[in-house]
Order: sequence, then structure tokens, then C-alpha cells
Amino acid sequence: MLFFGVGSFAHAELTIDVTKDIESGGIPIAIASFGGGAPENIAGIIASDLQRTGKIAPQPAGSRADYAVTGQAQPGGARGYIVQFQLAGAQGAPLLNLSFDVAPNQLRPVAHKISDLIYEKLTGEKGLAGTRIAYIASGGGSWYLVVADADGQNPRVILRSSQPLMSPAWSPDGGKLAYVSFEGRRPQIIVQDVYSGARRVVSAAPGINGAPSWSPNGQRLAFTLSKDGNPEIYALDLATQSPVRLTSGSSIDTEPVWLPDGSIVFTSDRGGSPQLYRIGPGGGAAQRLTFEGDYNARPTVSPDGRYIAMVHRRGGRFHIAVLDLQTRQFRVLTSGGLDESPSFAPNGKMIIYSNGQRLTAVSLDGRIKQDFVLRGNGRDPVWAPYGR
Amino acid sequence: MQHFTRHLIAAAAFALVAGCASTGETTGEQQTTAPQDSVTEQGITAQPGQDAYSYPYGQAPIQQDTYDTSGGAVAGGQTGGEQPPGQATTGGGAVAADRIVYFGFDSSEIPSEGQAVISANARTLTGNARIITQLEGHTDERGSREYNIALGERRANSVRQAMIATGVSPQQIRVVSFGEERPAAAGQSEQSYALNRRVEIVY
Repeated sequence: MLFFGVGSFAHAELTIDVTKDIESGGIPIAIASFGGGAPENIAGIIASDLQRTGKIAPQPAGSRADYAVTGQAQPGGARGYIVQFQLAGAQGAPLLNLSFDVAPNQLRPVAHKISDLIYEKLTGEKGLAGTRIAYIASGGGSWYLVVADADGQNPRVILRSSQPLMSPAWSPDGGKLAYVSFEGRRPQIIVQDVYSGARRVVSAAPGINGAPSWSPNGQRLAFTLSKDGNPEIYALDLATQSPVRLTSGSSIDTEPVWLPDGSIVFTSDRGGSPQLYRIGPGGGAAQRLTFEGDYNARPTVSPDGRYIAMVHRRGGRFHIAVLDLQTRQFRVLTSGGLDESPSFAPNGKMIIYSNGQRLTAVSLDGRIKQDFVLRGNGRDPVWAPYGR
Repeated sequence: MQHFTRHLIAAAAFALVAGCASTGETTGEQQTTAPQDSVTEQGITAQPGQDAYSYPYGQAPIQQDTYDTSGGAVAGGQTGGEQPPGQATTGGGAVAADRIVYFGFDSSEIPSEGQAVISANARTLTGNARIITQLEGHTDERGSREYNIALGERRANSVRQAMIATGVSPQQIRVVSFGEERPAAAGQSEQSYALNRRVEIVY
């Protein structure tokens, strides 16, 4: 646990005024500077986090707003700082009133935590400010696997290599990343413990070792191997290390991802162009899922299993599109270019992707856009799960 | 299956070595280029300990001068000094033009110029059975990265088939695809894309 809460939630009824949702720039909320002299601008981090959601509109203190945030962060407590904050409604009734005892290096995480508490209180959705992303950066003959805060700040390189790195995938508990590394000038799939740095090679077959994806329970990895002549989907039980082949044929089958029920969605050009297909947990007959255009690839599944986001080509440009498995509605979310590598946020509301150079995110309805502040380039982004 | 398991064990030992080698390393140190092109009959000789360094989350230093790559995915670096202006390699080292086969958009068919390149290299290989070549397939940057890995392999396999057809032993050929990860030319022009859709014949 990153923080220690000593406060209590106030039990106030809350009604969201839907007319003040994103059409009008979001729910107005006045945020005052936190007194107490902490080395982080906590109010600033909260305002930035809430602004990024697209659903809340932070205002300077004293503005006419529906809600107000006030707080302090001062030295004290067992860990170094006591951070206290209050969220109040228009009539001044306290909706949240909490304090945290944190170490100095936890002031930023606690600010994100406060942002998420406010966001959840006002929207009823789980927030993303306290989550993390991973991505690949490169330059100067090196490739980097980076883990950063959900806003792109606080990047930490957890792997540097002189050969390409690609396709990172978070384990469901958020403690490990599977990825493809070309170290030794050949591809292999590696699982790295994010916290200890320990690495384990899980596949180094001849040919392609690509596109790792964790099963929902974290016990299996699906990936692509071409050791039998052309790319096929395999599933590996991580405990027994025995890979089971799930597809066959002379086409390209790659980019597997798991649905919550254990079935697998993947890209295949068996019909002449890359499209998405679905097979059962043990393989078998494939059901085609996409029919719009001649290029739909790199599926990613929403946490609830309802939506599949993908790379979609239209008019020579690559876009992020989403398919609703319930209604079969297909929607293009981005204006397009070189968009690739979509990944759902753990609350299912946002999709992070790369435009080839930089990371950006779009909401599932296409209306909210977020940018990520990176020091360098970024691609292959993956949003971490909420975790433990 | 037995073959596959043996690979896994070898790879696991390799990871252990890489892990040990990472102790005490920092990102500040200039990386040596990968031991590319060193090929033996046992396969590619890798010195993986020099290739990758892992760090626990939160303990890895970030060096701005190597990390700031806002100029693009291809940030120059270790160019061979013989690139035309405006082109930068990704540090893989320059491969001579007579060892590169280029491909059309979305295609793994070998054009006639490529046939000549393949024939010339095939003569060298059939003349010396001890030479092992690695065919490295590449794509342009458009589309999905992993799908491009598959397309790059398809291109490399086209070259492999053509070489075998001219008498090269399959035992002399290895195939690897880098997809769009190692572009030869930077930029989003059709010209760059054409230079990046290629198979490099490495030996």
C-alpha cells in the first residue's frame, strides 16, 4: 500500500447534474492551493488529473463552482507528511474528508489518489490518475521499456537493450510485464517482474516469438510462434511450460488476446486481408468478427469483454476503431494516420494508443482526448490493470 | 516438441546470464553494438549479457541524453558513415546494397532486381557450404507492429525459397523478421517506406 488513510468518508447523497457533463466542459470544481509547504504542488496535480478526465473542469479557488476542494500537506505523522483534504458541495456540505500519513516520495501518488477519490465521488466511475502505463521508447541505438504514471510523468526505464523491444503486456496483477526482446538478434518472449527486475525467457523457439498476451487469471500466456513454418497462435501454461498450438493453416495468425471467457481473438489474413477472428479456449473453428474494410488488426479487449479495439485502415490511413461485441456496432474513434497499438484503461473508459511517435488516448465514445507528456518518443503503450 | 524444449532450456540459462551481467550496470554506459553477423554452424553467436539490462521498478536511472529521442523513432546514433544525407540507420550497421532485396507495398513477391541480388549471393553460398546466412525481413512502419513482424518473415521466406531454388542448402539459411522495428530510412515519405520494405542478406 502506498498510503495510509486515517479519515472517514462522509455519507452525503450526491446527484450528478448531467447537463454539466462534458458538453459544457465538465463539472466545475474550485481547487485551492494546499498549504503546509510540501515539496509537491498537490493542488496542481489534482487539477491536472481532473482536467485530463474531460469530465471535470477545475477552476481557481474562489470561483463559482458546484464543488470545492481544500487541503493541506504539512510535515508530521509517522512517515513525514500529513496530507488532508476536503471535497465540499455548493452548500458547503462535506462529501469527502480524509487525511493520509505519507513519506515525502509518496506525495505525488497521494495526490493522484485524491484525484481518483474525487472523480469517483462525482462520476461514479473508477478513476485512472493512480494507474500506470508501460511503453517502448527508442533512440541512439537503444530501446527502452518504460513504466510511467498514467499521465506520462515519472518515467522509469525498467529495461534497456541494444536490440528492439516490443509488445509489452501487463500481467493481470500488474506485477509483471511480458514482452518481445530481440537481444541476441533473435526474438524471444520474456516475462519480467516489474519490482525485482528478475527476468525469465518463456519462449525462444526458432522463428517468430511474438505478441504475448496474459490469460485473465494470469496463469497462461498466448503468443505467436512460426517454428512450424508460418505464424500460429499458441497458449502456454506458465506453470508447466508446455505450449499448445491453437491455430493451423498457411495464413498469418498472430496478435492473440483473451476474452474473459477464455476464448481468444486474433488477427489472421486467412480471408485474403488481415481481419479479426475468434476461437474457443482450445482452438477449433474460427469465427470472423470484423467486416469493415480490408485491414483490421491488433485487437485489444476491454476489461468487461464487451468491446474490442483495433487498428483499422481506411483510405490509406490507420485509425483506432472499436467493435461492440453486444450490438456489433463498429466505430472509428480517431482521425487517423499511423495510429497503432491500442490498449484499454482498466476502467474501460479510455483507450491509449500510439500515433507512431507519441502516446495519446481517446475515450470509448471518441469525445475525450488525452495527451501524454513524454521526454522522448513512445509506442506500444499498455495501460496497467488496477492490480493488487 | 523435444527440439522446442531444448530451446527453452538454453534460453532460460541465457536469461540467467543476462540477469547477472546487469548487476551494477547503469544506463550511463555506452552500449556496445550487438554482436551481429557473427554466425557459426551452431547458429547466431549471441553475447546476450551485453544486449539488455533490466532494472527493478523505481530504481532505474534515466539518462536524458540517450533518452530524449523527440526527433523520431530513428534517432541516428551509430550510423556507418556511408549513409546518404537525410538517412539514418538504427544502429544495425549498414548492409551493402548488393545484399538487400526490396519489395513493393504489401507484397512479398521478389522483383527482378531482387532476383539478381539473390542469384549473386546464392552463388557465394553454394560455393562455400560453411557460410550460414541470416535473412532479415523488414517492413515499412505502417500498420500493426506484430502483423508487420509476420509480413517481414514472409518476405524473408520468399528470399529463402528463391535461394533454395538456386541450389543453396536450407541448412545454410536462417530467417528472422524485425518487422518495422529497424527501419533503414527515417521519415514518412514513400521513398523511405520503399527503402524499408526489404530483406537483408547477412553473412
